[in-house]
Formats: sequence, structure tokens, C-alpha cells
Amino acid sequence: MLEIKHLVKIYEDGTQALNDINFKVDAGEFLVIIGLSGSGKSTLLRCINRLIEPTEGKIIWDGVDITSLDQNRLRQTRRQIGMIFQHFNLVKRSNVLTNVLSGRLGYVNPMKTLFYQFPSKDRQMAIDALKRVGILDQAYKRADELSGGQQQRVGVARALMQQPRMILADEPVASLDPVLAHNILGYLEKMNQEEGITVLCSLHYLDLVQRYASRVIGLRDGKIVYRGSKEDIVAMTDDQFREIYGEEAIRVSAGFQDKGKG
Amino acid sequence: MALRKIQQKEIKSIVPGPVAGIVSLFVPGLGQVLAGSFQRGFLLLGSLGGSAGLFIWRVHLLAHREINLMAKFLKAFDRRPFFVGLIIACILLLWLWNAWDACRQTKPEKKSGPAIFIIIVVIFFSLGWQISEINPYKMFKELPDAIPPLSRVLWPWEAAVEREKEIIGAGAEILVGCGEGELPPIPEEVPGQPYIMSDPRCGDLSSLDENNQIIRGTTLKLTGRGFAPNTKTQIWWIDSLGNEFRPRQEGQYVEFMTDVKGSFEFDLIMPYRLIPPSAKGPQYQRVEAKQISSIGKLIVGDPLRLTLARMAETIFMGMMASFFGIIFAIPVSFLASRNLMSHSWITMLIYYITRTILNIIRAIEPLIWALIAVVWVGLGPFAGIIALTFHSVAALGKLYSEAIESIDPGPIEAIQATGATRLQTIMYAVVPQMIPPFVSFSIYRWDINVRMSTIIGLVGGGGIGFLLVQYIRLLDYRAAGIAVWFIAITVAILDYVSAEIRQRFV
Repeated sequence: MLEIKHLVKIYEDGTQALNDINFKVDAGEFLVIIGLSGSGKSTLLRCINRLIEPTEGKIIWDGVDITSLDQNRLRQTRRQIGMIFQHFNLVKRSNVLTNVLSGRLGYVNPMKTLFYQFPSKDRQMAIDALKRVGILDQAYKRADELSGGQQQRVGVARALMQQPRMILADEPVASLDPVLAHNILGYLEKMNQEEGITVLCSLHYLDLVQRYASRVIGLRDGKIVYRGSKEDIVAMTDDQFREIYGEEAIRVSAGFQDKGKG
Repeated sequence: MALRKIQQKEIKSIVPGPVAGIVSLFVPGLGQVLAGSFQRGFLLLGSLGGSAGLFIWRVHLLAHREINLMAKFLKAFDRRPFFVGLIIACILLLWLWNAWDACRQTKPEKKSGPAIFIIIVVIFFSLGWQISEINPYKMFKELPDAIPPLSRVLWPWEAAVEREKEIIGAGAEILVGCGEGELPPIPEEVPGQPYIMSDPRCGDLSSLDENNQIIRGTTLKLTGRGFAPNTKTQIWWIDSLGNEFRPRQEGQYVEFMTDVKGSFEFDLIMPYRLIPPSAKGPQYQRVEAKQISSIGKLIVGDPLRLTLARMAETIFMGMMASFFGIIFAIPVSFLASRNLMSHSWITMLIYYITRTILNIIRAIEPLIWALIAVVWVGLGPFAGIIALTFHSVAALGKLYSEAIESIDPGPIEAIQATGATRLQTIMYAVVPQMIPPFVSFSIYRWDINVRMSTIIGLVGGGGIGFLLVQYIRLLDYRAAGIAVWFIAITVAILDYVSAEIRQRFV
């Protein structure tokens, strides 16, 4: 479904964020990317939908190279790929419903949406999406009045509105507490299992990785240093973990183990 | 402190102490430079050279008639002993200190103190005082002269209302040049109405001879009846073209009191008036006696009425200029924000061009724009609106674009990731973040524009300033005071309102 070939990203200041990345994602996978901050996880995810332009390499999506698409076809591809962010990236002054509806922007008539008009079936869809993430009662509140967990659920609902075939989640739970982390990842897991939406998710905590991943890639200094199946990651030891995260890293448990497995 | 820090890593002196001192006597600061204290040396050279240059300029102005330099100094000292003495003493002190300091700087443990900077400050303060002609004595001495006009400005309300004027009057025709035509008829007397007659009914106007000496015209004996008793009466002259004017006699406007019966007799010398060469036939002119009395009902005075009208004009000028400013500034601000324009070199070029133009327009004050606009569209409020709009676009464009630059890029990324177009991204991710700063800046600008439009009239841009400057030039301080009061009231209200609105919105 998605194949990354020799992906390289060098920023204008000379930083090499990604160095010859190669991997393949099959439909329906829950692929987790692990690695320290600055190891290139965010850059990798943003290169896939070209929020960041890759320097070199190919990103094959359904047999088509995303890096070669023109603006129009890129937008059509982007709308099939939902995205969830660490800091939620909601428009804080707009209300929750508008934030969710903005997930439809790639599908609707651009001129009509300039005046914040959406077809009624899209509005119904937004209400269903909010119902699904359990915050329908907050629909007309301003986004910044919501708590962190609620804001991320708005983020999930916005991604749902795209009727995506794949979701890119950039550390979706790094700003949330453990209980909320499971809540949000639970939604992703459900979408993954029930609707077959492929998920690419970067995570920091090994416990969460062990609980949700169907496959794992480890990044370090822009290179893939680890590839593992679900069995590999469940059996992963602290030493292997340290291998990916560098010598100074210690295993962060943060109490996920019990909740995750129970 | 800064000096000391730099000196810590300084190089060693290349000359012994006394040599540095002597060198510094000839070229101030050179000794310090040789001793390795470069900054100190240049600072001393700059302040000594600068103060000496400015001092010589002022001495020259004080004694510009003297040719000899020494004579100039003596004359200047004679006129301003304290100033000249103080500066000479300070400069000498600084010069000697500079030599001693150069000597001191050659030693490894370089010392410095703030004392010398006090001398430099004293020199420049005294020069500044003299150059900008500060004169507190004059301020106090001339205060009594300023009190009458100032008190009129501070409490101008006597001019706010006035009584309606009633004019009663009568006139008689006069033929210029006896024998040039038929004598005008003797006015008919109606009982109860004012009546005036002249004897004779013809005569010569005053004229000028070749040496510009006045040749008196015929004296007319005016007799009037039926006027208001014991009332000031003015004489007016109306020439054959219908121009009215008040003749003068002995330099004073002709004016007298009627007697108890309301009658008068007065000898009027026919005034100086040119008959146009194109005039044909007998020239009949007219003399009138008028009594103007303020006995009618109270009405709003001209100054108050005009001030109110102009104030409304001013507020709307500010409003329209803000309105146009906002409309034009919004698209411009998008072109002038780095984060929206940084994706290709063409847009970056547009960004730099827009920024440069905005900076240039903003650097020129609205008063100067108004002078240009007056040339363009003529005197009046439209010129003021153009000037204020120009300046508003530049100022708001910069403020808006800075607000755009400081927005959170996260939502932009998120909206782009949904497959939205560029325009949709702006509408959904940029605009909602822009609304609070835009509203705040726009109201602030409206406030500034109304304040500016009160003075833009000084250069002909319409509004209350136009009226105010006229009143001041006519020395009508009461009327000017009314305008000043209304400006103050309006600006104060506006200040309060705009602060309130901004607080609510943000």
C-alpha cells in the first residue's frame, strides 16, 4: 500500500533529518515508529503527505509516487490520509464542530467553504464523528475551552471526517496523561481493526508500543536501526530498547504496563 | 563597566606614560590609542572634537560681526559670560584630564572612573541648552501677556452663544460728479421709519494725486431721523457695483451715537473709491446709516456651530480613513508576512518589495502626505482622508503582517494535511487566529486616525484643524478655545471607548 524508498531529507540549515529510509507498509497495519526526539520521526511522517518536501527518494502510494504529484493530485492524495498531532493543532478560536468539519475541506466545493458553508450530509457526518469520540455535547464550544484529552478527540474526529485509508499520528499521546493515552490509542486501534484503516504512529513509551503495535520501526539519527514484528517488540528487553534510544535512555514505564495489558 | 570589560583583554602599551600624555595633549585620545585603549581614545577624541566644534559654532553666532577669532570669543563672553566660561572651563578640564588619563592608561592595571563622563555630560547639556534657546526667564516674564489669550482658550464659552442681531437702517443715493447726470431724488420720509438725507446729493469722491497724497472729496452733510435713540450708528458706503464697505475718517471707521430723539447730523467726506474705466453714464453711489443691536433671542454662536460641524467631519474623516486603511491593509499584510510568502523566491521578492514600500510610506508623517494630497485633490476633508489612508495602510499592514507572522503554524499544517487548498487554509487556519489582533489593531488605528484628523486640517486637510488654525490666525482665542475643548472631549471619549472595545474583544 505504502512504500518508502531511499527517503532523504536535508533541511536548509544542513541538518540531515532522514538518511536513506526504506520500508513498506501493508494495508491494515498498525505500524509504530519509535525513537528519541530529533531522531526524525516527525519529519518522516510529514514527508509522507509532503507537509515537508523530501530531498530525495520515493514515496509510493497505491503504485503512484507522491513526491512527483502536482498540487491538485497531492491534495486528492492528502485527503485520503488523516493526520493527528502531538499538540492537536486545532484552530483554537473556532468551535469544535468547525474544527471537525474542516476535515472535509478536501472533498467539498472550495468556493462554498470560504464562507464556512458545508453540505448537510457533511454536518451530519461531523455530528456522528463527535458522537463516536464521545464529545458531541461540546460541539459548539470553542476548541481552546476543551481539556487536552477532549482536544485530541476532536483531532481524531477531524481525521475521521476525511474517511481516510491511512492515518499518520505524530506522537498523538505525548501531551496527555496515561489514561487518556490509552483512550486515544484505543480509538486508533478500533479504526484500525474495524475499518481496516492503516495507522502509522510515532510513540515514545515502550509499554504503549508493546500494547498497540503490529510492527515496529526504530529510528535513530535519521536511520532505521530496528525493525520488529509484534512478537519481537513484546519480547523486547531493556537492552534492545537502550540500543534504539541511546545509552543514556532509561526505560520509562510510567505505569502503562498494567493498564495496557489489562 | 563596559569599558572596563574591554580593557581586561587589552594589549600592552607601546609607549611610556609621559609620552602618551604629551601626545594626547596634541591629539586628544591618541595617547590612549597608543596605550592600547582604543575605544577610550576614540570616545575622548569624539567628545572633545565634537564639543569644541559645536562651541565654536555658537560663539560665531553670538559674535558674528567680529572677524578676529579672539574678538569673537571676547564678544561672546561679554554677551553670555556663564555659558562661554563654563564650556571653556569644562573643555580645558577634559583636555588636561585626557592627557593625564593617557599617561595612566599605559600602566598595566588600567583604571577608569565615571567622573569624566559627568564633565562630558555637562558640556553637551550646556551646549544643548544654548543651541535650543531654552529660556525659563522669558517663560515667567511673558506669562502675564499670555494670560488673557490663554484664559480665553481655557474658558471660551462666552463665545458659544450670542444674541440675534437686528439691523435698522436707511440710505440715500449720491451722484458722483455734479453735473454728470440727473440728481438722485430726495428720499421719501415715512413716519416711524428711519430716514436719512444728504446735502448736497452729488459730489466728488476722495482721490489720490500723483504723489499719492489724498485729495479730500466733497463733504456731505448727513441728516438722519427716526433711528433708535442713544445707539451706536455706523455709516456704510455702497459703490455703483454694489460693494459695501465702511468708510474711515481720521483712520477710524465712521461711527457715532444718535441723540435722545434718535436723530443725528454728521459731516461725511466722500470716501476714496476708483470708478472703473469701463463705467458708462452717471455713477450713482449710496450712503447708508445702520444700527446693529444684539437684542434678539439667544442663538448658538458661529464658533460653536462651525466647531460642531467640523468635529463631525473630523470623526467621519478618521472613520473613513480607517475603513479604507483596513480594507487595503488586509491584502497587503498577507503579502508582507514572511511565513506565508517564504515558499519560493518570487513570493519572497514580493515580500521584500511590499515591506520596503510599507516602511517608506510609514516613515512619512500623515501631515506630509496631507500636503501632497492637497496638491492632488485640493483643500478639504478628502485630502485628509487620502493622507490618513496612506499612512493607515502602511501602519496597519505592518502590524497585521506581524500578527500573521506570530500565529501558531500547527493549525495550518493540520488544515493542509486534510487536502485543503491554499485559500481554504488561509480561511480556516489563518483567519480565525487573526481576528483578535486585527480587531484590536483596527480599533487602535481608528483612535489614532481621529486624533490625527484633528490636526491634519492645519495643512488644509479638512476637519476641525482647518477651523482651529484659522481662528488662531485671526487671534480669535475664544473660538479657538471652543475648538480645542471639543478636540479634547472627543479624543478623551474615543480613547476610553477604544480601550473598552479592545479589552472586550481580545
